[in-house]
Amino acid sequence: MAPLQKRAWWGLITGTVFTIAFVLVFFLMGGIDKFDQDATFRIIVDVLVIGGLVANLIMVNIPLKKAGMVDERDKVIADRAPRVQWLAVVFTLVAWVIGLNEAYQKTDLIPGVFLYVMFMSVLIISTTAQCLGIIIGYWRMDRNAQD
Amino acid sequence: MPRINNRIRRLRFDHNEMTQEELANKAGCTRQTIIALEQGKYVPSIELAFKIARALGARLEDVFQYEV
Repeated sequence: MAPLQKRAWWGLITGTVFTIAFVLVFFLMGGIDKFDQDATFRIIVDVLVIGGLVANLIMVNIPLKKAGMVDERDKVIADRAPRVQWLAVVFTLVAWVIGLNEAYQKTDLIPGVFLYVMFMSVLIISTTAQCLGIIIGYWRMDRNAQD
Repeated sequence: MPRINNRIRRLRFDHNEMTQEELANKAGCTRQTIIALEQGKYVPSIELAFKIARALGARLEDVFQYEV
């Protein structure tokens, strides 16, 4: 397994763990209303999100800049990963828009705090999807060998 | 469908049984890329192809062949 591929797996695992932690903490601590009112709650969520992003940076993005760690094949794969990221971000936004629209259609008033939560969720999904994109890239390169 | 074949594995053995790791170090790529090249799962850039040929002490066309 290539060094970047190993790190992408670690990035995907940590990203998934942080996502689950984020969702669990969010709902176990009271959900969106509590999040809107409680500064401590917001700080905990912020720490989780920033911690996840920093972990991803250390796992995946910093090695990309280290000499000898990646070569041209790894770079080709890493350069294709944003396609998966983009798709994941679009699907996340679509899910948010449909969900919020359905939940608040009667009141016609979506709480502003959702902007913050949407942004955080898109950040988490985007970084995790980058790792997934790299893993898919290696898999596709292995599968689509010259016939 | 056109394809690019290579004789990297053969030339490695002809070249004092050079390991994939040694070739990778000389060519400036990872061992996994040499493995992918030998298995026909990756086509290198011109630059890497030249580096591999140089590391194997061979001409580019002796290492890589283009078949239509």
